Amino acid sequence: MEKPQETPWVLLVYRIPREPTSSRAAVWRKLKRLGALLLHDAVWVLPATPWTREQFQWLAVEIGELEGEAYLWESHLLLNGQAEALVQQFQARVDATYQEILEELEQDEPDLVALSRKYQQVRAQDYFHSELGIHVRERLMSARGGYGS
Amino acid sequence: MKWVTWEQVGVDRMACAWLITKYIDREAEFLFVPAGQKPLPEGAEPFDIPGVRLSHHRGHCTFYTMLREYDLRDPVLQRIARVVDEADTVQDVMLEPAATGLDVICQGIRLVSPSDLVALERGRLVYDALYAQFASEPTQA
Repeated sequence: MEKPQETPWVLLVYRIPREPTSSRAAVWRKLKRLGALLLHDAVWVLPATPWTREQFQWLAVEIGELEGEAYLWESHLLLNGQAEALVQQFQARVDATYQEILEELEQDEPDLVALSRKYQQVRAQDYFHSELGIHVRERLMSARGGYGS
Repeated sequence: MKWVTWEQVGVDRMACAWLITKYIDREAEFLFVPAGQKPLPEGAEPFDIPGVRLSHHRGHCTFYTMLREYDLRDPVLQRIARVVDEADTVQDVMLEPAATGLDVICQGIRLVSPSDLVALERGRLVYDALYAQFASEPTQA
């Protein structure tokens, strides 16, 4: 990824009817799964990549189908240091999950199936390639034993 | 007839093009426009573009929409739809391990192809293969 200040971002702002709550929850869960960050309880943000643009576009369509309203922008941060701070927020969140995996690997007989699944999910949200992620991957590879470890 | 979609085809658009040629329009001719370009060319049916008839609905992929719109009920196609859906969209329930791999393979096919049209041609083999394999397994649509 480019330097933080050059990173373009995609921003999503939406409203959706309170009922049915299942639709609201489904949209919320998708944003969480995408690893989007909610700023000031108002704006959902992701670094702009072809994939995140496309996912946000489809989500905006889906919100419209649920009788809601969505606005989608692409933008740059203009104030010094804010891009770095935003990147750090993304990193801190995936690093927290990576740290959990490392701690669980220290337990007796860790559940490697569950942990590798957790790793894959957090990896998909690791937009800035955390170094801790590389470490977790190595630990999982050596935990499986045999060739390639 | 003519069909139009966005450039840089991936898993869902390759699947749809395969479906169109095989089940809907043997003479299909595909056109590509840059993502976001408007207006779309006249006289061509758009697919997998946000807001058109043949695109994502209720959070599910365009391939599902095409099966519904063209009333295709083959359970093997329904299973392919689930794989494409899990590959192309964010889903809570993931039941098809092939999905992640299929997404990567389709992206890679575009990378090694000189054009979107060639990528669609090459993608056909992948979906023929998927169809043949699923057809040989007990139905799980």
